[in-house]
Amino acid sequence: MKKSKQQVKKTTRTPARAKGKKPVTKKRLTAGLKKPEVKFIGTPMKVEKTEPAMVIQWPRTLTHHHTYGLLTPFFEGLKQGVLRATRCPTPGCEKGLWLPPRADCPDCHARMEWVELPNPVIGEIFTFTRVEYPGYGIELSYPYYQIDVKIPGCCTIMKGYLIRGEAKIGMKVKAGFRTKKPTNTILDLYWEPVD
Amino acid sequence: MIKFKPGNLRVPQFQRPVYVVAGGTTDYRKHYPEYKLEELCMMAFRMLLEENDLKLDPLEVKGLINMACYGEFADHFQDQLLCEAKVHDYLGLDPLPNVGIKTGGATGGYTTLIGANMVASGYANCVLVLGWERMDEVDTRTGNFYISTAACKDFETRLARMYAAYYAPMARRFAHVFKVKEEIRAAIAVKNKGYAWMSPFAQQPAKLTIEEVLAGRIACDPLRMHECCAMSVGAACMLLCDEETAYKLSDNPMRLYIAGGTHTLRVADRRNMEIPLLPHETPGMYDWMEKELNEPYPGFQSFLASRFAAYMAYRMAGITKEPCEELDLVELHDAFTISDLQTYGDIGLRPYGREEEYITSGDAYYGGRCPSNLSGGLLGTMHAVGATGIFQGIECLWQLQGKYDKFHGEPKMWERFGKKKPADWQSLQIPRRRRALWISHAGVGSHVTCGILVNPEEVK
Repeated sequence: MKKSKQQVKKTTRTPARAKGKKPVTKKRLTAGLKKPEVKFIGTPMKVEKTEPAMVIQWPRTLTHHHTYGLLTPFFEGLKQGVLRATRCPTPGCEKGLWLPPRADCPDCHARMEWVELPNPVIGEIFTFTRVEYPGYGIELSYPYYQIDVKIPGCCTIMKGYLIRGEAKIGMKVKAGFRTKKPTNTILDLYWEPVD
Repeated sequence: MIKFKPGNLRVPQFQRPVYVVAGGTTDYRKHYPEYKLEELCMMAFRMLLEENDLKLDPLEVKGLINMACYGEFADHFQDQLLCEAKVHDYLGLDPLPNVGIKTGGATGGYTTLIGANMVASGYANCVLVLGWERMDEVDTRTGNFYISTAACKDFETRLARMYAAYYAPMARRFAHVFKVKEEIRAAIAVKNKGYAWMSPFAQQPAKLTIEEVLAGRIACDPLRMHECCAMSVGAACMLLCDEETAYKLSDNPMRLYIAGGTHTLRVADRRNMEIPLLPHETPGMYDWMEKELNEPYPGFQSFLASRFAAYMAYRMAGITKEPCEELDLVELHDAFTISDLQTYGDIGLRPYGREEEYITSGDAYYGGRCPSNLSGGLLGTMHAVGATGIFQGIECLWQLQGKYDKFHGEPKMWERFGKKKPADWQSLQIPRRRRALWISHAGVGSHVTCGILVNPEEVK
């Protein structure tokens, strides 16, 4: 990239000198000033490259305080080894169970009821993918099978992962729970082949 | 089950005609450190004002603008809240009102839709619609994680942190239900990346074979890397006007119709429903799907949002016959080969279940009845997300205006972006210039717009 003349031209004379006054020295500049009260307490950004433009590295570390809200019973359930779905109590409304659960019915807006699915929860693989190139921060060792599971009685087809074996469309799978050392996330629910 | 009531199916009506008059774009790159974001927006804005054969001087055109609509997919990528204010000021448009629009991958389409409504309602006579994305501040895997937060953060994101992993199961189910070979998906990648070869704006043009696509590295099985679009940096804009302003500025503005649709963020939550029929479709024609396949609709194989947007847009634009007969070009949202393929049924390029015939018949290719993605699409040219649905629209505009060669074939356009026009460059200017359609699409079909440009010279 071309640099303009203005950018590369160095100033050789200070304005003070140009007017024939005494040169500005560091001592003169700081004379009478108190010790600075505001200090830089951060970490200087690293310059990654200077061409074709100056690029700095700008690190980020963040913690969000995320609530599971009214779905808390679902995530608590996973740690206890149970799968909880929701159901609309309104007669004539959607009869199927919701998994992922919702606290409120999208059709009639009624507050849903919790339904605990009896173990073993058996579903069928509706479709799947083998994840070979996951994004940053992946918490599962890969490659692994991400599966979409059709569970009898549900009006939805929930996404999950297969903890062992090879996925096939139509394959029966059983829900498993990470009750020891739970992650407190959806990863506490996994699926395994019904042997 | 989603059940419509009459009010839900009211066809949108603009209170007065809306026209697209001009377009501008940058080229698109994986990394673009040479320019800051607002500098890229200025680059696109300048092209819009200066290179569209407008009848007024650029600053006179700017003097007509009285509203701006800005599209940006994710604050994560820009790392700048209220980026709209920064861009607006940089373009010298203060204190005119502006609004930011965010609907994932369909951001560009919805930005156009909102801009069109500003004109249609009379709020504005001349609207700048501009979109951008700067996806190079983070590495690709971090970018993939950011994008995956546009899946459900509680139930889906942690299951891949990669958007291809939400499309791949649809690709598998589509192939299972409709018995489609993966060569069809590969052919889409070959076609669109091949057309990108003719575009000075293209990020990843390539001359590939079906075999090379299929032998390529897997992202999320069955999708190969060649079947997935890339992280992209760039900006695109268009100018929308009422009829009087449009003809004051241009001799060949294009009439715009645009409608939207939505569906669940999670594919999991798609419940079975009746198929809304497009104007040319007939009741009962999809009974076989329920009887023979026992497959829910839209299931994992189709996009209800695209169907709904096309259902409305065709009726707005008076398209009553088979779309391949009435449209001369479509620009579809090929973020993944499978999303392109699924859309053929949604917008009626073929009936549901026969999507692959759009490719195998040759209709989809340059020279075919209704070619698609001559711009190079998202696979070959760009997916700087907030800009995408606008870029697709201006490619449609230039095609209908007969300006494909002006914007793609001039050696100086290639040189502007540090490229050399290929020796084997060929024009992809469509010969018939009646109507063009573009689809802007988000999530796994969460938001979609269907925009249709109509050439008033050709369609009386």
